[in-house]
Order: sequence, then structure tokens, then C-alpha cells
Amino acid sequence: MPADDRIDGYAAAILEVARAEEQLERVGDELFRIARAFEASNPLREALTDPRIPVERKMGVIDDLLGTKTSPLTVNLVGFVVSAGRVSDLPAIADRVAERAANARDKAVAEVRTAVELDEATIARLTTALNKATGKDVEVKVVVDPTVIGGVVARVGDLVIDGTVSHRLEQLRETLNQR
Amino acid sequence: MHLLAPIRLLAQVTEEPTTEPSGIDLLLPASSELIAGLIAFAIIFVFVWKWVLPVVDKRLAARQEAITSQLTAAEATKLEAESLLADYKQQVARARDDANRIVDEARQAADALRTDSVSKADAEAVEIVRKAREEAAGERQRAAGAIRDEVAALSLAVAEKAMAGAVDAKAHQKLVEQYIAELGALRP
Repeated sequence: MPADDRIDGYAAAILEVARAEEQLERVGDELFRIARAFEASNPLREALTDPRIPVERKMGVIDDLLGTKTSPLTVNLVGFVVSAGRVSDLPAIADRVAERAANARDKAVAEVRTAVELDEATIARLTTALNKATGKDVEVKVVVDPTVIGGVVARVGDLVIDGTVSHRLEQLRETLNQR
Repeated sequence: MHLLAPIRLLAQVTEEPTTEPSGIDLLLPASSELIAGLIAFAIIFVFVWKWVLPVVDKRLAARQEAITSQLTAAEATKLEAESLLADYKQQVARARDDANRIVDEARQAADALRTDSVSKADAEAVEIVRKAREEAAGERQRAAGAIRDEVAALSLAVAEKAMAGAVDAKAHQKLVEQYIAELGALRP
């Protein structure tokens, strides 16, 4: 089966379970955050993708990390993906779940990365601004990423609007290299 | 006078003794002597005319023919010699021209070779200098670029560290607000 179809299949299954449990928004949000943490943390990624580590041990790692912070349903769904040996596809599956969940509400996912957590009021104003800038009704998912240093970068589908300090430093680096 | 001796003897036999001659008679011969002389002359003339002259003529003709033949042969030889001399001179002149031409060509070839060698040497020298200058300029640019990149990288690393430490909660909020304001200026 092609990887894209497989990811779609897992995303559809998780989506249906979450919808049946009426936790679609929460599960989608938590999966999204877990996927970003998985992408950002090399030790976590290595621990969950190492074929020499038994699945039970991997499940223990997930319980330790997520047990008290996320819903049991989300933990079980992540465990399902890990036990199926598809943990390397977890970010793509999470993105697809978030995308499908948003589409179900006639919305588009806006992945917003900042160096610090944003309060609800700021997220609301950011959502409004992104709605106007993209012409879409977006659902903002905030990812805390210290590498951006400061500012915000938002990705809606293929559109990226980067206002981070790291991006400005990178532009400065390119300008200096061109001279 | 020995040719006239027989005639004189004949005249002495036929002549009668006379008186001693005088005057013109001293100069003129006696008639008998004259007749005998004429007869002798005629005999000798006929002899010469009949036998001697043809032989002489024949010998002279042969001699003349031989001389003419020799002259003709000499003339032919002379002409041949002149022709050979002309040919020889022509060949010598041609050989001299050829020699001069070969020397000239060799000199021109040597000059051309020398000029060509000098030109090539000059061109190679110019090319070597040009390449050396280009390499030096390239090396200078590369060194300057490397230094610039290094300075930029160091500056940016310092800036990143400084920014990471300098961006506090207030600065974060300000950057987010600025981002929201910039989004407001965008159109879909």
C-alpha cells in the first residue's frame, strides 16, 4: 500500500474513534502537539523508532510522557500507532487528522510556531488576522518552538508567513553572503 | 736568264755575223732571238695552260673547298660553342637565381620563425601574467569572501545568542503584536 494511502487510513480510523468518543477536537489537538514533540526531540524519536526496543517498552515511554497530560484516548491512539510499527508516520498521521477534523468543521489548519506559549486572547486575535490574510476560516494550532527565538511563523497548507527572529536572522545571513 | 738560254743559242745559230749594234738596237733583241723567245714562250704557255694550270686550279679548288668546309665546320662549332656557352650562362644564371631564391626563402623562413617564436613567447608571457593576476584576484576574492562569511556567521551567532537572551516575555508579546499587525496588511 502506498505510504499516503496508509497515512490516510490511520488518520481516518483515529478520526472515527475520536468522533465516536466525542473528543475529536481534543484528540486532534493533542495528537498534533505530540507529533511536533516527536519531530523536535531526537531522543524520543530514536526511542520510539528503534526496532531493537520492544513495543511494551515503547508503550511505557508513551505512558510516562503523556499519561497525566493528555486524555487516555489520545494515549491509546498513539499506542495503537506505535504497536503497529508506524510511529515514524505519526507526524503525518497527526497532521492528516488535524486537517480532516478542521475540514469537517469547514476550517483550515494553521500551524503557528512561537518561542513561548500564547494566551487565549492573542490566539484569538492571531486567528482573526490569519482569517483575513488567507481568506480562509483557520483553526490555529500553536507549537512552542524555542528555535524561532521570537515572533511567529504560521503555515496554512502550502502558505508560510514567517515573522520570526530566526527567519530575519537567516535573511540577514543571506544578504551578508551575497555581498 | 737561264730560261732564255736555248732561245739565245738558237738565235746565235741562225744569225749572221753583223756589225756591232748601237743605239736602240742595244735594247731590242734580234728578230731571231725574238721569234725563238716567242716560240719558247708559247710552248711554255701551252704547257702551263694545258697541264699545270688545271692541276693548280684543281688543287686550289680542293684547298678552297677544304678551307670552306673547315670554315663551315668551324662556324658550326663556334655556333655550337656559343649556344653551349649561352646555355651554360643561362644555367649558371638560373642556378644563381635559384641559390639566391633559396637563400632568401631560408632567410625569410628564419625571420618568420624568429618573429613567430618571439610573438608566441610574448603571448605566453602575457597569458601567464594574466592567469597569475586572475588567480591572485580570485584568491583575494575567495579569501575576502571566506572572511566575510566567517564574520557574518560569527556576527549572526552572536546576534542569535544575544537575541535568545534578550527576548523576554514583553519582547515576545511585542513581536507577536507586530506579526498580527503585519498580517492585517496582507490580502488573500
